[in-house]
Amino acid sequence: MKTRAVVAAVLLLLVTLVSCRSSVVEESTTVNPSEEELITVGFSQLGAESDWRSTNTESMLTALSAENGYNLIYKNGQQKQSNQITAIRMFIQQEVDYIVLAPATETGWDTVLEEAKEAGIPVILVDRRVDVENDNLYTCWVGSDFELEGQKMATWIYDYTCMIGMAPEDVHIVNIQGSLGSTAQIGRSKGLSDAVRIYGWDLLDEVCGDFTETKGREGMAQLLQEYDHINVVYCENDNEAIGAIDAIEAAGKTVGSDIKNGEIMVVSFDGINIKALEYAKIGKISCIAECNPLHGPRVQALIEAIEAGETPDKFNYVSETLFSSVSGITSIEVEGKSYSITPVT
Amino acid sequence: MSKKKLLKGNLFSRMSDTNLLLIITVAIFFLMYIGAIIFQGGGFTKPQMLFNILNSNAALIITACGMSIVMISGGIDISVGGVVALVSMSCAVYLDFHNGSIIGSLLIAIAIGLAYGIVQGVLVAYLDIQPFIVSLAGMFFARGMTTIINTKPFNVENNQAFLDLKGTRITVPGMGSYNRKGIYVPAYIEIGVVVALVLVIILFLVLRYTKLGRSFYAVGGNKQSALMLGINVKRTKFFSHLICSTLAGIGGYVYFLHVGSGSASHAMGMEMNAIASSIIGGTMLSGGVGNIIGTLFGVLSLSTIQNIVSSAGLDQAWWTGITIAAMLCIFLLIQSVVMKQRKRALKS
Amino acid sequence: MGKSMIKKITGHQMFIPIMALLLLAVVNLIVDPGFFKVTLGTNNSGDPVLSGSLITILDYGSELAILAIGMTLVTAASGGQDISVGATIAIAGSAMLRVLCGTNTRPETIQAPIIVAFLVACVVGMLCGAFNGALVSIFKIQPMIATLILFTAGRSIAAWINNNELPIVPDPKFKYFGGFIPGIPIPTTVFIVLACIIVIVLVLKFTNLGLYTQAVGINESSSKLNGINPTFIKFLTFVILGLCVAVAALIKVSRISTINYSVIAKDIEMDAILAVALGGNALSGGKFNMWSSILGAYVIQFLTTTLYKFNVQSDALSAYKAVVVILLVIFSAPAVRTYFSNLFAKISTSRKSGKEAAK
Repeated sequence: MKTRAVVAAVLLLLVTLVSCRSSVVEESTTVNPSEEELITVGFSQLGAESDWRSTNTESMLTALSAENGYNLIYKNGQQKQSNQITAIRMFIQQEVDYIVLAPATETGWDTVLEEAKEAGIPVILVDRRVDVENDNLYTCWVGSDFELEGQKMATWIYDYTCMIGMAPEDVHIVNIQGSLGSTAQIGRSKGLSDAVRIYGWDLLDEVCGDFTETKGREGMAQLLQEYDHINVVYCENDNEAIGAIDAIEAAGKTVGSDIKNGEIMVVSFDGINIKALEYAKIGKISCIAECNPLHGPRVQALIEAIEAGETPDKFNYVSETLFSSVSGITSIEVEGKSYSITPVT
Repeated sequence: MSKKKLLKGNLFSRMSDTNLLLIITVAIFFLMYIGAIIFQGGGFTKPQMLFNILNSNAALIITACGMSIVMISGGIDISVGGVVALVSMSCAVYLDFHNGSIIGSLLIAIAIGLAYGIVQGVLVAYLDIQPFIVSLAGMFFARGMTTIINTKPFNVENNQAFLDLKGTRITVPGMGSYNRKGIYVPAYIEIGVVVALVLVIILFLVLRYTKLGRSFYAVGGNKQSALMLGINVKRTKFFSHLICSTLAGIGGYVYFLHVGSGSASHAMGMEMNAIASSIIGGTMLSGGVGNIIGTLFGVLSLSTIQNIVSSAGLDQAWWTGITIAAMLCIFLLIQSVVMKQRKRALKS
Repeated sequence: MGKSMIKKITGHQMFIPIMALLLLAVVNLIVDPGFFKVTLGTNNSGDPVLSGSLITILDYGSELAILAIGMTLVTAASGGQDISVGATIAIAGSAMLRVLCGTNTRPETIQAPIIVAFLVACVVGMLCGAFNGALVSIFKIQPMIATLILFTAGRSIAAWINNNELPIVPDPKFKYFGGFIPGIPIPTTVFIVLACIIVIVLVLKFTNLGLYTQAVGINESSSKLNGINPTFIKFLTFVILGLCVAVAALIKVSRISTINYSVIAKDIEMDAILAVALGGNALSGGKFNMWSSILGAYVIQFLTTTLYKFNVQSDALSAYKAVVVILLVIFSAPAVRTYFSNLFAKISTSRKSGKEAAK
């Protein structure tokens, strides 16, 4: 008897808990009386693995806020495609007006995007692209040209090494790659490998740093044990660069752009991480190719265009620059277009 | 007359542990779901929401059933998540790189499960090593092997037979709904769900009506008296691990069929979800008490609460972890109270 | 005489960890004698530091050694292990950062003295330990399952404490705990471990903690009859482990001056349990040998470093460790031991009888 009383009490508690939570929920979703006018957007972010990603999420949350007339449902996929697919299916069930997707991988999206299309929900991709048989499965894409970023960085390295008078075969590069298979990794690695082929640099090794500080440190420590003549470290994002610099310093070497005198030059991508920008200021990171994470306003503009009945451009690039504190190079030229360098001080 | 009544009363109080825990779980699941429909509405009103929960948790249902059996017989197996990842990766490599056949991949999945079951079963039952340590090593090994087979996560793309199987949907008549375009969308479940439900029924029958099934309860409840009843304790323990790992292998295949990719980070923490589901479903950690139907509802409760939490906009990743832990904590405390009462009742 | 000597040596608890250590040392010596080279260099701030694989092992094995102390006590008293240590390191570390950095994630100066932050972390660690301890001792839940709760929620709670942001500690002094104090070439962590060992040795020597834990672990009800309160002893061991966790968290967080909730101290619970097992302590509780566990921790770090040396990827590391664990538990399983001792006895008797026959 007593048992049952205890159990009943606990049960009651649980029920109240559940209903409490639900009532909170109700408030948060129906607080705005003009909900009819709000545009509901389901946003499936792939994760929160780097500062770039956090800034990207933040930009999306501010642009698609209630004040701007949106009801944003944000879901973190925790780096897993399966989580994202589940999230999109939930959006479809909830009948959102738009789906914004930052895909974790490029492949494997056909089925779920087909479902969204059948449900008549436009899908806007951000950041990475998807590889689907039918391009009409998504409305448009917003993001960076990662290969161009890689090309810009490679050109900068080439210009710099030429400026200090180094022979290309004396440039010993290691590449700390991002998450293998991501659009950013593929683009940035291609930018480097093309340059290696054209300029004749010595690419010693490529390891995966998964866009994280820990893996960047681990990977660099391993490379330093294997090779003792590395002079350029090409990190595919800021977090990896911070980890790599840690490893280099722990091994008793110095980072900097004076590679003729034994310093190891670190270059990186993104330019979001405050620590990395600090490093760029004091010269620990010689050059950062910006990867603009502020996609929110761009997505907002696209949604407004679609609402107004326009057909937006399929591919929308955000503008990006290079950050460097190394003096001597003020601009670079890639495929006939000139890009200026933003000095950081 | 009074004697009969007494016997009946005894029987009731003896049965009540399993049934009481089961009833609590089922009630909580329905309350939660109805609460979600009333307060959150939207997606929860459509049957497809429930089917989506089933679709994405079919693998968990299967592994959790295996876990329940091991737990009922007094053991534990924390290698199941690792086995699922290993199976996914092995099958993905076999199908995508070597253009293998569906049957072949299924055999690989079951073989990995069986091999795990035999090794862990022997170590636990015949060498008398703690199951936690054995399966801990098993988990380490499976995770490590997965990365050794292939570091990079990838999707299976070059095997049409598999892609067709993965895309196969079973429509549930009469459960569909009209979307806002006014088109009727039929409700569907994936093959994995059918496999999971069939396995749940089979295991339920095995546990309830076969000698082996009942010996699981006996061994988990009291080893000494099980021995006296003439039950081969070692063999029973061995079989519990064999069944659990084989189910993990099948669960791995269902998981693979759902995600269609191989990755070392697949099914991270699945063992914990399986244990949590079993506990929520009324399986006692101390062994001897548990029910497969309860486990099914344990999985459903767990994933419903996750869905509620995330569609409530509390999607900061930590809320899911904290809610599951809180739920687990509550159920463990219930169990502990039930156990105490039972001991007291036995004494008096 | 000789035989009993051998038996004495092989039967000693320290035998397995020492043999494992020697084996690893020999393998490394053969593959690369440079493994044992310790050099005195300078780091980038110009201070002298010792470097070399042996120093790396001593340095990075520290957290494990500290956790092994607490884990040994928990194992001995409760017959189970705490699998939430990694997650509670994240909680304690997160709390520490919260105190040091306040609400600003990039402060110019630290907001509170380091000692205050450390004490807060200790309290948080002990609270987590107390939570686990209460579930185990009062509610009689199996330790591994009771600690499963914090294992599941710990990293989430850690992220929640700092609102999922990653504060960076600006004070270079904070780096000393996981690195080097300027002017002293030995890693600071070595001193921290030494301090912990001294404290625990003193505690074991001057209190009845060791005796009581073993008594509770061997037979709970008979220890109760002897006037020991098993509930309290079990609870206490978990709180002590919580304290160890806080110290390990200090080192972990200090190493990188920040925290990564999902990867900090990942899988360390497995290594800590392994250290206890490798030290020859029964995982089912009862008698324990603290030195053996601590040695076990360093053997595991030795193994990790060796595997890295052989270019094993960090993700694949676990497969090799698993093989080691399995071999270890198989050889220490009572069933296997009896089998081998029977076999040994048979061989020796048959030899004896053979000799006698030859006579």
